[in-house]
Amino acid sequence: MAWLDANLVSVLNGVAIGCLLFILAIGLSLVFGMMDVLNLAHGAVFLVGAYAGWVVGGTDPSWGTFLLALAVALGIGLLVGGGMSLLTEPLRDRSHLDQALLTLGIALIVAELLSMAFGNDVQAADAPPGLDGTVSLFGNAYPTYRLALIGVGAVFAVGLWLLMSRTMIGSVIRATVADRDMVSAIGIAQHRVKLAVFGAGSALAAAAGVLGVPIYGARPGLDSTVLILALVVVVIGGLGSVRGALVGALVIGQIESLGRAVLADAASFLLFGALALVLVLRPRGLFAGAVR
Amino acid sequence: MSGMVITRRRLLGMFGATAALSACGSSLGGGSSSDGGEQGAVKVGLVIPQAGVYAPLGVDMKRAWDLWLDRHGGKVGGFTVTTVVGDEGETPQTGVAAVQRLLQSDDCDVLVGIVSSATALGVRDLVTESKKLLLIANAGANDITGTAISPYLWRTSFTNGQVAAAMGRHLAEQGGTDGVFVIAPDYAAGAEASAGFQDAFTSGGGTIAGAVKPPFGTTQDYQPFLSQIRSSGAKATFCFFAGAEAVAFVKQYRQFGLADSVPLYGSGFLTEGGVLSAQGAAAVGIQTSLHYTSELDNEHNKEFVAAYQKAHDAVPTVYSVQTWDAAGVLDRALRSAKATDGDALSTALGKLGPIDDSPRGEWSFDGQTPKQKFYIREVEQKGDGFVNSVIAETDAVGQDG
Repeated sequence: MAWLDANLVSVLNGVAIGCLLFILAIGLSLVFGMMDVLNLAHGAVFLVGAYAGWVVGGTDPSWGTFLLALAVALGIGLLVGGGMSLLTEPLRDRSHLDQALLTLGIALIVAELLSMAFGNDVQAADAPPGLDGTVSLFGNAYPTYRLALIGVGAVFAVGLWLLMSRTMIGSVIRATVADRDMVSAIGIAQHRVKLAVFGAGSALAAAAGVLGVPIYGARPGLDSTVLILALVVVVIGGLGSVRGALVGALVIGQIESLGRAVLADAASFLLFGALALVLVLRPRGLFAGAVR
Repeated sequence: MSGMVITRRRLLGMFGATAALSACGSSLGGGSSSDGGEQGAVKVGLVIPQAGVYAPLGVDMKRAWDLWLDRHGGKVGGFTVTTVVGDEGETPQTGVAAVQRLLQSDDCDVLVGIVSSATALGVRDLVTESKKLLLIANAGANDITGTAISPYLWRTSFTNGQVAAAMGRHLAEQGGTDGVFVIAPDYAAGAEASAGFQDAFTSGGGTIAGAVKPPFGTTQDYQPFLSQIRSSGAKATFCFFAGAEAVAFVKQYRQFGLADSVPLYGSGFLTEGGVLSAQGAAAVGIQTSLHYTSELDNEHNKEFVAAYQKAHDAVPTVYSVQTWDAAGVLDRALRSAKATDGDALSTALGKLGPIDDSPRGEWSFDGQTPKQKFYIREVEQKGDGFVNSVIAETDAVGQDG
């Protein structure tokens, strides 16, 4: 019974981590899927958001400073994403390697600037008031903040799904994933769609950074750690779909949480084992082609 | 004509130089007659991480080295010191290259520093072949002064097993001997700490409720392991974490409500230096073992802490003290060897008695690593900040704890 209790908590925790990963990875997935641009600076944008959360929100944030930090991160993310879109524009017809080199270079520069500005110490912050305690769940204490993350993730997922499936913007984005040239042919400027998606995706990554501060903190090196997680989510879920990113994120959440709890001895291999399995069985991802 | 000019210039130059030399000579003569120890110059390579996850440790080490020189007129053992800093980075790829550069192109006489155990083991052959002294001011792998011992590698820090064993013995003596869960990351230092604790604790009559090794460097969320600790029914937890992992683990241990029901113990790096301010209130009540805390109540430490705070506006850490003591033992060795080569210095270090002026309290070399006391420390709030207060101390122990 205790075993079951402990693992129910792990399942729930997997959902919470999965929700955070979804908000992080959706931008990467859409930009890659739509515009064929591989953005390796996505993790650096997350870290920018994390430092914004720590600096603006403070180590013991009130709701005011926490929401302000979120707004600041969204703004910075939007600007950085827009800038990245313009920078990658000349490379749109070049190979992925050229794009990877450019965005990796940007990622390294951003990480170094953050390290110069905020030092190399590890920074951490608490959750906003009311969410910084624990609730009793199946007889075990569980952090309230992580439960709230599930709610936030659900709101984002439903909102994005509605945006993609029920609005004009959504259908343009889906059409661009399916056939870029056809979208151009009907008179929609590709680079504007790209600018918008790049900006929004980066804003979400920066917001994920703020939301992640109470769990992951802010520190040098966090950018590459989350970039790898986001890439795995995208590869597992398939490119360019909200549903794929959501399922990919929830799968990774369970692997990192339930998987590590049940198979503790194999913890190091689980993530990439699952990745290899998906690549062998469904090389284009679980939801490749489904643009919703 | 031009020949004339050069000759005249040379003449002037020679006059100038002679005048300067004689002026120097007289002032130096006056100085050396009082302390009698003018030996020449020594070039020291300070190998510390200036980038990457260990960079904060590098800052503490550099501060202590600078402070020591500052308080001793820029001299160690009567030798005028030139310091060349090499960036150790995070891994042996950068660390070994930095040491190679300091030895070969900068031609250093002595090396001080090294945070990473992998780097320390990686440069062992290089340093041994060049017959230069390396004073290790942090790296804690047991092997460095154990199976991989070299006459040229001496250590002023600790061994991983020694630190963890101190806590194991202490808990066993306290009688809290039932069901301790052990968690340490899956790499060499974690394994040594885990083994050191378990050996000492079980031989004192304790029982282990379970042990787990989270992947090193890739674990951000400890929930699966925290659930395992809870379901094991353990009465206490012993852990070994440092840096970012120490912050994440301590915060999550509190967030998941374990801190109140299952007390947390650890090797002192868990709550030392910068990580403690990031952990903040989440760390209160955690007990750890280490050979230093800034709160030590002895004359040398009080003087050291005051000087360090004045110079750097920061509280010294164990990493500072290890480097301070490296300068201290180098001073003694140079004084008695009157030479800077590795063989003479190694022999001199072997003959040093107890080091009685260290901020950590008296210690001595046992083999080539410290035999020292360990302090059982508890995190407390003090003013706005948090400190490790001493609640007990152990007998002095050497390499194996």
